[in-house]
Amino acid sequence: METDAELRTPRAEPGAAGAGGAPLVSLEGATIGYDAPLLEGVDLAVARGDFLAIVGPNGGGKTTILRTLLGVLPPLAGTRSQPAPVRTGYVPQRDHVDAYWPLTVADVTLMGRYRGLGLGRRPGSGDRAEVARALARVGIADLAPRSFRTLSGGQRQRTLIARALASSPELLALDEPTNGMDPAAELSAMDILRDLHRQGGLAVVMVSHRLEAVANYARRLAFADKDKGLWRLGPLEEMLTPEALSALYGRAVTVREEGGRRFVYPEGGGERA
Amino acid sequence: MSAISEFLAAKDIWRDPLLASVIAGGLCGFLGVYVVLRRTVFVSAALTQLSTLGLICALLAEESLHIEAEHAGVQLAVAILFSVAGALVLGALQVRRRLPAEAGVGIAYVVAGALVVLGANRLVHAAHDLNSMVFGNAVAVPFSDVLVLGAVALVCAAVHTAFAKELVFTSFDGETAAALGYSTRTWNGLLYFTIGLAIPAAARALGALPVFAFLTIPASAALLFSTRLRTAFAVATLLGVLAAAGGYALSWIWQLPTGATMVALAGLFVIPGAIAKGARG
Repeated sequence: METDAELRTPRAEPGAAGAGGAPLVSLEGATIGYDAPLLEGVDLAVARGDFLAIVGPNGGGKTTILRTLLGVLPPLAGTRSQPAPVRTGYVPQRDHVDAYWPLTVADVTLMGRYRGLGLGRRPGSGDRAEVARALARVGIADLAPRSFRTLSGGQRQRTLIARALASSPELLALDEPTNGMDPAAELSAMDILRDLHRQGGLAVVMVSHRLEAVANYARRLAFADKDKGLWRLGPLEEMLTPEALSALYGRAVTVREEGGRRFVYPEGGGERA
Repeated sequence: MSAISEFLAAKDIWRDPLLASVIAGGLCGFLGVYVVLRRTVFVSAALTQLSTLGLICALLAEESLHIEAEHAGVQLAVAILFSVAGALVLGALQVRRRLPAEAGVGIAYVVAGALVVLGANRLVHAAHDLNSMVFGNAVAVPFSDVLVLGAVALVCAAVHTAFAKELVFTSFDGETAAALGYSTRTWNGLLYFTIGLAIPAAARALGALPVFAFLTIPASAALLFSTRLRTAFAVATLLGVLAAAGGYALSWIWQLPTGATMVALAGLFVIPGAIAKGARG
């Protein structure tokens, strides 16, 4: 049986960026947490064109890693490096956004432009054009005047992705973007992310507790579980092995490909459907 | 002479109090949109209590310790100090949650309330003044208070005009704002600073309990009416002005307690909003 230390990424390859080139942002030997450490020895570098998914159980420290990577939380030990300013788009968990506010889809999306405007300046026609473009990229241009509170869960998620895109980001960070979605809406949201990534240059980092949701999209996977002291990062093919997956789930796991899609099955969990 | 004619004839008496009520009503109505949307109604209640506690402390210092605090400006300054300090602490609690934020608000509210009762119990000469400060009696407001209130309203208007997008963004989705590099603690602090500044100044004109009501009711009614945030701010401000002015006039004409009349009138504004909301579905 592997020990906690063996499960961590070897220091010789400190979370090398998957898409090559200089990292936009990186963590090196980072201890992450709020007041007390959650995970130690986190090495992670994200470069332009990367598509990284951080997977693990709920409460496993994934969001804390993302917040530390973005600079919202300082690492308790180790370093966070960001050689140059990075335009970042962020998509929070959908149910973290208060839908009671009387805002239209265009209002919410326009917030993505605020950071670039600076203090005291109001959005202009150029900003509204960017909002229209961002809404069109996620396929909801027609919803611009609709009230955010009247949207379905999937439409809200697209709005939040459009808001992140409105800043013309170099790095798109998403926290559980498919949480609570039905399978069709989940596939649709992930297809949007894949298409955005394929348009080139954009680095995507997403957090998910559902491996199956990201197994067909991400190029690199990271497993995080604070209870097991687990932090492991690698290319998708290396991470979708029974050995790596059993480290995350604590049981045998099978990965099967069918019709060009990967399906992940924990073993011994009763009869398969 | 009809009651309305009598009211109009007494313009010199009610001009300054009415002006103060209108400014306070509009200011509280506007800020109330943030208070209601951020679900921090009881923050405003706690700040109102802290503001009253500041007044009590000023009055006690005058009576018991013979420290010069008789001037209304000194009392207001102490009330503002208590309210702004409380606002900044409670604002910080919204971000840093060792305890649920509601617990800090509840503690501030009940402890300040208890200290108000204990302090009022020790007052001898100023006890009658305190009643009107808490429950509202905008019959006599000196012009100096109108000027202070006007200055506070201008400061709040300047802050909320210059930083509208930052205050809205960090209030609506603080998590994303923080991820994009906004200091949510700073922006929350600025928002609560304006609320903490407005409460004592408005409470001198309207009374503490009407101020709490005006931070809640016009905004709630406006949010029932409105489907756009900008409209909600405008309608809440207008309803605050109408409830303050209308309540003042009606209380004069019908010889009713001023603060209670204003609050009751503001409460009536919720009814058409609820009907409009029901009609929209």
